[in-house]
Amino acid sequence: MKLGLRLTLPAQVLVLFISVFPLLMQLYISLTDWSPLSGAPWPRAWEFWNSFANYTDIPGDRRLWAALGRTLLVMVICVPVEFLLGLGLGLLFVEDFPGKKLAYSILIMPMMVVPAVAGYMFFMLFQSGGPVNDLLSVFGPVTIAWLSDPWLALVAVMVADIWQWTPLMFLILLAGLVGVPQDQLRAATLLGASPWQRFRTITLPRMKVIITIALAIRAIEAFKIFDTLYIMTGGGPGVATETISVYFYKITTNDLIWGYVAALALFILVSLSIAAQFAMKRMAR
Amino acid sequence: MTAIHLQGLTKRFGPFTALQPMDLEIRDGEFLALLGPSGCGKSTTMNMIAGMEKPTGGRILFGDRDMGAVPMARRGVGFVFQNYAIFTHMTVRQNLDYGLRMAGVDPGPRTAAMAELLGLTDLLDRPSQGLSVNILQRLAIGRSAIMEPAIFLLDEPLSNVDAAFRAVMRTELKSLQRQFRQTMVYVTHDQLEAMTMADRIAVMDHGVLQQVGTPLQVYNRPANTFVARFLGAPGMNLLPGHAVQSGSAVQVDLGPIGLTPPLPGPASGPVTYGFRPEEVTLDPASPLKLPVTHVERIGARCIVHLGPVKAVFPAGTEIPSGVVGFTPGKPCLFDAKGGRI
Amino acid sequence: MASIEFRNVCKSFGTVKAVVDASFKVEDNAFFCLFGPPLSGKTTILRLILGLETPDSGEILIDGKPALGVAERNVAMVFQNLALFPHMTARDNIRFPLVERRQPEAQIAPRVASVAEKLHITHILHKHPGQLSGGERQRVAIARALVRDPAAYLMDDPISALDARLREEARVELKRIQREAGRTLVYVTHDQEEAMSVADQMAVLDQGRIVQIGTPSELYDRPQTPYVARLLGSPPMNLSTSGAFGPGQVGIRPEDLTVTQSDTGAALITGVEPLGGYTVLTLAQGPETFRALLRGQPEVSPGTRATLSATKTHPFTADGHRQTGA
Repeated sequence: MKLGLRLTLPAQVLVLFISVFPLLMQLYISLTDWSPLSGAPWPRAWEFWNSFANYTDIPGDRRLWAALGRTLLVMVICVPVEFLLGLGLGLLFVEDFPGKKLAYSILIMPMMVVPAVAGYMFFMLFQSGGPVNDLLSVFGPVTIAWLSDPWLALVAVMVADIWQWTPLMFLILLAGLVGVPQDQLRAATLLGASPWQRFRTITLPRMKVIITIALAIRAIEAFKIFDTLYIMTGGGPGVATETISVYFYKITTNDLIWGYVAALALFILVSLSIAAQFAMKRMAR
Repeated sequence: MTAIHLQGLTKRFGPFTALQPMDLEIRDGEFLALLGPSGCGKSTTMNMIAGMEKPTGGRILFGDRDMGAVPMARRGVGFVFQNYAIFTHMTVRQNLDYGLRMAGVDPGPRTAAMAELLGLTDLLDRPSQGLSVNILQRLAIGRSAIMEPAIFLLDEPLSNVDAAFRAVMRTELKSLQRQFRQTMVYVTHDQLEAMTMADRIAVMDHGVLQQVGTPLQVYNRPANTFVARFLGAPGMNLLPGHAVQSGSAVQVDLGPIGLTPPLPGPASGPVTYGFRPEEVTLDPASPLKLPVTHVERIGARCIVHLGPVKAVFPAGTEIPSGVVGFTPGKPCLFDAKGGRI
Repeated sequence: MASIEFRNVCKSFGTVKAVVDASFKVEDNAFFCLFGPPLSGKTTILRLILGLETPDSGEILIDGKPALGVAERNVAMVFQNLALFPHMTARDNIRFPLVERRQPEAQIAPRVASVAEKLHITHILHKHPGQLSGGERQRVAIARALVRDPAAYLMDDPISALDARLREEARVELKRIQREAGRTLVYVTHDQEEAMSVADQMAVLDQGRIVQIGTPSELYDRPQTPYVARLLGSPPMNLSTSGAFGPGQVGIRPEDLTVTQSDTGAALITGVEPLGGYTVLTLAQGPETFRALLRGQPEVSPGTRATLSATKTHPFTADGHRQTGA
């Protein structure tokens, strides 16, 4: 046996146990109609065997598809906005300007706020009589019911997400921007390239890898959006801001249909893995 | 082709003065070397000419145009960086025609001609990453030259090159300059590069321009002890002594080494007596005596260390051991402050 | 106090042959120089001597006995970047190998003092590396290698980071140290001038092969191949195949070319490079280019004609070896 393999064997076994065991357990439960209320402990879930019924239910689950659609909507709006804002700020911060250190500290603060607290903050901000409406009242009397309107609630949730996660995008992109060799930028300038041309021909190509990473990290995180949103709207009004995570939370804690949850979880895991593979390949090019 | 005039050019970084007010004329089509040890202000001077740094004081003129308000992108200066700053994510061709593409000019014919001139034609569609250093140098020069700049600035382009290869690159660089005939300013800390390539050398130290002249002027008639030591390999021998007037001539008392032969000119008090290692001859009758401490035989040359003095002889010269008499040729005298008398 | 001997040593890394059939002997107390272009196998040989690599085949003998493991080999190394500990004074840096070996304090202090004296660094022992000049740092690093009384010590291009003027001083200093401290020194450099200045014996490497071993003057005066001939000497040896200087391939050192200015000469002066004490001329004769090294500052200008003659030639056979008897 190779030395490397021998040394890492205990760790490999541990990882195998941690990652493979829950998967197998989930697969088992997903083939049953078992629930914690059914009276039997989970190893005896076979008593409630219903083979692939949970899986065949998935296509007809309209609430699921609506939640998935909403999640993707949040992702395709928030991630690009965060990227553009982060990149803009990054470009600002590679240059020196007075007060840069202070501005930097303030800018990355949202990232440090516990998401649940951020949720509470934005919950307060978007109340009918809250500061957002007060601010908008400058243009005339407004009483927008942000969190009880289906679409506006979604907007409010996205504003909170952008507020909290633009700093992360900014930090990653700034690291990339700082890594672009100064001499190459100067050489391009001396060859007559305009700032935009320099950005397009030197900065962007040199940042390809880091941009891919930043987008991937944020896309994955945005797909899992939960805590801030749940505190702001609880997925409501109705199911208007229900995302995949919120939907899962509800059917797990309220409906207790664990067999179906397990089937759904596996389905999402597999489809996400395929999507991620595909996306990484495209972005790498 | 353009002359460069530096008038009272000064640069300070906070309390630190990187460049004392400097006046220098760089002639049209000239190859001028800015020579000095690291930290002497040569790179700062060059960066100001290119517009990468703003002068604290003084003026830079290209011909009769004041460059004060002209940003670096508009100065029309070709610049070769120490590390060449090749765009490694592009092909050789994309590097070469970069400036033309950015200016919206059809790069086709000019790129082909430049590639032909530099022997890069076969490499045009290769990625520029991983090319050998002499190709990178040519590419860096070609990339600037294709824009037909009036002025070419080179920042120690040979410092990352293997010693054995440097001679080849020097020759190549010199012949490229002959082809382009642009005004070239070349920054280096290597006196050999400056001597062999430059039309004129500007020697700098501690932010002060020490001397400007042709390589042989600077070598033969150094303005001060710094220049005398900095040029030549080994540099000039400099011995502290005391000037003694003898008639219309001067002799220098070198203490235990002896009393030098008479030199013309008045001088008195503490002086420095300088002479080139290549000008030393062994002469048992000489009043100057030192012991042979070490002998280096390096190919065509033989460097003999006589205590603090170095002497260079052709290979194969018989070197006696023990204390020997020697006669310095073409000596120079420097005053207590190091200036030439 | 040790000789080092390689017998048919080979070492490959994957498909790369780093050292091919190397045989040589470094005599006790010799200053032995490994010289060659980058990647020619110099550093691998050092690592083999240190015991950091094991040969694929062949034998390494130290003092006539097969070499032991790294720890027992008692060979010290001065690294290219010197690898001094920046947070320790020069004294603590030098003491370090002895403290590591748990030597009694009563032995450490006098040992450090005697090494420091030999290297002329007694007055800077209290300083940190950051406060020392390049040359002083180098001497501290050598002192650290010598303090544990190694049988031999190795140096990998230790002065390449210094500028040209300091290198000239440093190599003389190195030679003095080695002569006074004794010990076998194996020294790697890519600078031909440095190699010739310091070495008692030198080995020239080409792609992992040792192509010639000898004293610097043997190698310079009687190079066995054009490769060795052109690696040593600056400007490098001229090689002529046109028959102007004899049949076959003939090498002429630039200083052995006599240039006589004459309007009907066959050579055209194309370049004049003044070095101060010397002048390098570039001349074109027929299809060939020659470089000549003249003493002083002769009055010549490019574009004039001259006749070339050689005071000494190096004839090589067609397959690139020195002709026997030459």
